[in-house]
Amino acid sequence: MAKGIISWIDRRFPLTAIIKHELTEYPTPRNLSYWWNFGFLAGFVLVLQILTGIFLAMHYKPDASMAFDSLQTIMRDVNYGWLLRYLHSTGASAFFIVIYVHMARTLYYGSYRAPRELLWWTGQVLLLSIMASAFMGYLLPWGQMSYWGAGVITNLFGATPFIGEAVVLWLRGDFAVGDATLTRFFALHYLFPFLVAGMVVIHLVSLHTVKSSNPSGINLEDKDNIPFHPYYTSKDGFGLGVYLIIFCWFVFFAPNTFIEAVNNNPANPLVTPPHIVPEWYFLPFYAILRSIPDLLGGVVAMVMSLLLFAVLPFADRSTIPGGARYRPIYRVTFFLFIADIFVLGYLGAQAPTGYVVPMGQVATFLYFATFFILPIVSKREDKWLRARLPQELLAQFDRTNALAKGQNKGDAP
Amino acid sequence: MSRLIALALCCLSYSAWASEEHKLAKVQVRTDVQSLERGAETVISMCTGCHSLKYIKYRDLLKLGIAKEKVNSWRGSNPPGTSIPSQMSPEVAVKGFGSIPPDLSLMAQARDGRANYLYSYLLGFYVTPDGKSGNHLFPGVKMPDVLGIAGARTPEERAQIEEKARDVTSFLMWAADPHEQERKKLGYYVIGYLVLLTVLLKLMKMRIWSRLRNN
Repeated sequence: MAKGIISWIDRRFPLTAIIKHELTEYPTPRNLSYWWNFGFLAGFVLVLQILTGIFLAMHYKPDASMAFDSLQTIMRDVNYGWLLRYLHSTGASAFFIVIYVHMARTLYYGSYRAPRELLWWTGQVLLLSIMASAFMGYLLPWGQMSYWGAGVITNLFGATPFIGEAVVLWLRGDFAVGDATLTRFFALHYLFPFLVAGMVVIHLVSLHTVKSSNPSGINLEDKDNIPFHPYYTSKDGFGLGVYLIIFCWFVFFAPNTFIEAVNNNPANPLVTPPHIVPEWYFLPFYAILRSIPDLLGGVVAMVMSLLLFAVLPFADRSTIPGGARYRPIYRVTFFLFIADIFVLGYLGAQAPTGYVVPMGQVATFLYFATFFILPIVSKREDKWLRARLPQELLAQFDRTNALAKGQNKGDAP
Repeated sequence: MSRLIALALCCLSYSAWASEEHKLAKVQVRTDVQSLERGAETVISMCTGCHSLKYIKYRDLLKLGIAKEKVNSWRGSNPPGTSIPSQMSPEVAVKGFGSIPPDLSLMAQARDGRANYLYSYLLGFYVTPDGKSGNHLFPGVKMPDVLGIAGARTPEERAQIEEKARDVTSFLMWAADPHEQERKKLGYYVIGYLVLLTVLLKLMKMRIWSRLRNN
């Protein structure tokens, strides 16, 4: 019976072929570490955010006079409304933790390098879209930090040359953040996740064309690949279990960790909160913004701090494949860069007084310097390593590079 | 506009830093019905003179387990589904204080430091040299020292007021998040289930991956 149904479908839609190609026969390097679990986790969090979000939207009122109250109704009166809301608010932070680890893995192992440039770039677009969704979602509780945070961030668009004021007005739908802003942010906050889901499909199609990178950076031979299912489905399953234990601990025992105390006060245009800070996941970029004394310059720096990731496939000029494993200088650069981001994040949360501003400027300089010295460092490191590594290994590297180039020219893998 | 915001940021962040100098006392919040009932008693007899608790209905107090007679005496002729109101009309409040006293439903979660802030604030009152009421955490506070901590003479009297402040804090913590106990109880089951599931998933993963070693 089941076979009959499947063959009926298969005559009309390549169901079995897709399952074979994408799962049961999809070749995956057998040496992937647990750092490769985070892409799947990001997909899981996205689904959870969409599901909890849909149910929250059934009770939420996107109206400036009702939004805060409707959230309290969800928290108090809706059956398991508190669970929906805490899953969603904790999920937002979890999403960024997972995505940032996913990106850090990509940087560490050089997974962005040829032939995976498009995979990396679609990831960048995903990151920007998720950031936009998170920013708009944060306005919806209509608390003090929602309101003032949205005011400060939309204000940044005023730095756009010539049409700044018009852009800000267009974003807010009013001269100040208000009901019009809330309604359009709600509409877009509902729309964006579905765009993100669509982009995830593109990200995955791209992944399945170039296949996963692996810790060695060397393209594996066929015998070293294993089918995604059941090997990586079972590994992802276990990773998901560990993730859910940590995630649910926060949801059930410390959900207020990710909700600013100030945001439990309803939005009040007449009272500015003492210290306006964005959510933690924006803090490093916020610190970069504040480090440039000029508003336009700050905004440009902040945008560039995100966009510059796109040049990495070209900035990295090493011929040694992969990332940090065989490249000690690259490894040091990576860890300094991550440390710098943590410093920026810390500074972003502080009031801009005393040492905070000059230190932020130094950290910002180091952030950008990393991108600009990478072409030189990677080339020098390459020369240095080639003089020292065994010929056998270098030959294998060159084979990998040739293969990557071949894939670049569009040869089917 | 942006300059104004920046200026406001600077001024206010400075004052926030200044007030952080006063260390918050740590409070052990209670969750038993007796403590919450005592807290509710104090809040309704003292705080609702000026403050409302608009997200808490009298019915919620019944659900919490407070005796019906007591809740009935608090609500008077109001139906059980009424939100706990402030006894002071907004007009009178604005006349007397210059602003409407904030709603207390979420107060225990609405300040940095949360329960500790609330507890320390209630006990932070003192009498200034010129005989006025001041508060260590809230310079220029308009609210009077309702628990009377500034006037406490003996250690016993002080301990009594601290106890009262603790009950009020406990009740307002409940009011800010009435499902907390239910949430934590469910949390133990959820985490327990997940740990079991994760162990099984790990075993399954090991079993599947062991095939690779055999060939």
